[in-house]
Amino acid sequence: MISLVLGGVMLAYLLAAILLMMSDLWASPRLEGAGRLVLWAGLGAHSGALLGRWAASYGAALGHTPAAGFGEKLQLVILQVPLANFYESLVFFAWCLPFVGLLSFRRHLKGYLGAVVAILACLLLAYASLGGVDSRIKPLMPALKSNWLLIHVVTCFLGYAAFALSFGCANLYLFQARRPRPSLPPLGQLDRLIYQTTTLGFLLLTLGILTGAVWAESAWGRYWSWDPKETWSLITWLIYAALLHARLVKGWPGRRIAWLAVLGFMAVLFTYFGVSFLLTGLHSYLN
Amino acid sequence: MPTSSSPPPLGSRLWGSLTSIRLTLFLLLVLGLVAVVGTILPQDQPLPQYLRHYGDTLGSLLYGGGLTRIYYSPWFLAPVSLLAANILACLVHGLPQALKRCRRRLTWDTALELPERGRFSWPVEVDAGPLVTTALSQELGRPRKEVFSDKEVYLYERGRFRPLGPYLVHLGLLLILAGGLVGKFWGVEGRLPILEGETAQAFELGPQGEQPLGFQVRLDRFQVQFYEPGSAPKEFRSDLTFFINGREETRRTCRVNEPVTFGGLTFYQSSYGAQTTGAVRLKVCQGDDCEVMEVPFRRMVDLPQGKGQVMVVRLDGDLQGYGPAVQLAFRQGPGHPQVFWVLKDHPEVADQPGPFRFTLLAVPFKFYSVFQVKRDPGVWWVYSGFVLLLPGFYLAFFRPSQRWAVVLEPTPTGGVQGRLLGASPRAREDFAARQERLLDSLKRGSHQ
Repeated sequence: MISLVLGGVMLAYLLAAILLMMSDLWASPRLEGAGRLVLWAGLGAHSGALLGRWAASYGAALGHTPAAGFGEKLQLVILQVPLANFYESLVFFAWCLPFVGLLSFRRHLKGYLGAVVAILACLLLAYASLGGVDSRIKPLMPALKSNWLLIHVVTCFLGYAAFALSFGCANLYLFQARRPRPSLPPLGQLDRLIYQTTTLGFLLLTLGILTGAVWAESAWGRYWSWDPKETWSLITWLIYAALLHARLVKGWPGRRIAWLAVLGFMAVLFTYFGVSFLLTGLHSYLN
Repeated sequence: MPTSSSPPPLGSRLWGSLTSIRLTLFLLLVLGLVAVVGTILPQDQPLPQYLRHYGDTLGSLLYGGGLTRIYYSPWFLAPVSLLAANILACLVHGLPQALKRCRRRLTWDTALELPERGRFSWPVEVDAGPLVTTALSQELGRPRKEVFSDKEVYLYERGRFRPLGPYLVHLGLLLILAGGLVGKFWGVEGRLPILEGETAQAFELGPQGEQPLGFQVRLDRFQVQFYEPGSAPKEFRSDLTFFINGREETRRTCRVNEPVTFGGLTFYQSSYGAQTTGAVRLKVCQGDDCEVMEVPFRRMVDLPQGKGQVMVVRLDGDLQGYGPAVQLAFRQGPGHPQVFWVLKDHPEVADQPGPFRFTLLAVPFKFYSVFQVKRDPGVWWVYSGFVLLLPGFYLAFFRPSQRWAVVLEPTPTGGVQGRLLGASPRAREDFAARQERLLDSLKRGSHQ
């Protein structure tokens, strides 16, 4: 049932992307309205699917960990947040994109910019459902039984999503700077959006690293272990820190900032996918 | 930078490059590269491992050059120390000024120095004061008003403490780095394996040896629970009793994610295992012909009538929730032994190669539990750094400073002339939009 809904959501994002792209090509406000509506509907259904998975995961946990009383049940609900394996993280990452997009782009989430968001979300969902990723709900391993799981994973992925948006804007910027097109957003606006999304992502990534460190201190007895995932999130953080300094203090022009945003997102992708598949470490329970 | 013909003194040049953002960007890049090397090159392995992997020359070069312990080598420590110096220099350089700016509230005379953004005038019959208050309140917030004999000044300020934001963030980062140092020099970290029922006085400090705990700790019981046989582990649990001078102080349970602190040391559940306390009793059958034999752990024992040799290679106190199990190596004649598991309570789970059938009758064992033991006084430095980062980010990114003023002066013809002044150095786009809206609503009812 949930995977069926997610399949529908994936198609909705694809449709939204097509509509938004066409709305720019034909300068049609009607198509744009339709595209935004489909995107919203997709996000709504996606949220429903996430909650459904959460409920299913909680139900499965009740089977082997009987909880009595409100406090214990609440504790179990928090622990069973569907962010415990690679599949669930992909689905959540895909959800974060339109969510953060609507949050930080607001009225700018239209045309090519909206299409980029929808396409990225669609690709992630496609990978989650068609890429042979194990989607079974499994009981939680002891290392993940912590209240920090929820806040750590949520902040990290919201941050990744903000960086994905900054990457999308940077691509449009570079494209626009080389071959100006009136239908693309103007350079100044793109530059501002790159900065805004990067700031948001940087804040969230920092929170993600901090919560991870506090969690690691209580789980492994070390707030920093140079585990590959930690190290790569630090590398990502350093790249974006460099971007923010270059822009805020040095006032670098947009093109170099856009390239840094692209580089930063490459590091995000490696932190998320590369580390899980190529390097092993303390975070390797994700596979 | 002064561009006089004589070069500036070395001290100020050094200070100049120490506070430069170019150095910061360079160091961020270098640290990023070092970290990339640190994840690609496996860290903390013994030398032979590298020699096998990378060949004799490259392997010993990597090992000798400290690249295999990169986070403890100058490759990492030098740029990170320089970055700390860079941050510290920037703090010393800019913090006093930022503090001064935060102390300086927007007053009418400083407001008059703000750049002018627009002019407008109202005829005699319009009461300009309330109009200005409404316009400012709608767009920004309630303004302060100061009245003089020749003019009225309306002031609005937001984000006065914004200049502190970046300094709080960087102070937080310095605290985190300092916490790392404090932990390195004043902290201890070690390992403590304890067998069930035994009491420990000291823990292992890596190759340097042992360190006394200062108290005694006994492992009463270790348990591993599985969600169901064959599935993932659910819980690792150690029940501990702490003693001081032989007197029982407290009983505590240590689990993953639930460390136990006693006497200034924190115990983390890190791993576990089982150890035999006597010989393993096996029944060996060939057809209906059975024989019982005692096999000590990791000792090759001949089967009756020389039909082969068997050794207990490994012991698991609870193999994936199926109960105790041993791994046997069995050999007939020369050649490689066959290795397989034999389970005591669930013999059906694991296949045996034959021709003999082994049954596990008794396996006397005890669990042992391994703890990570540590004391790190630097953690609180690190955490206070974390806490500083949050208001710092808030101020730096979400409270851009804006200063606005509207000055009303009477004109010779009896009307009122107004000037809108304002500045926001770090949020120009937002400022421009607000300025446009403000001018719009201020000009309503004016002459222009």
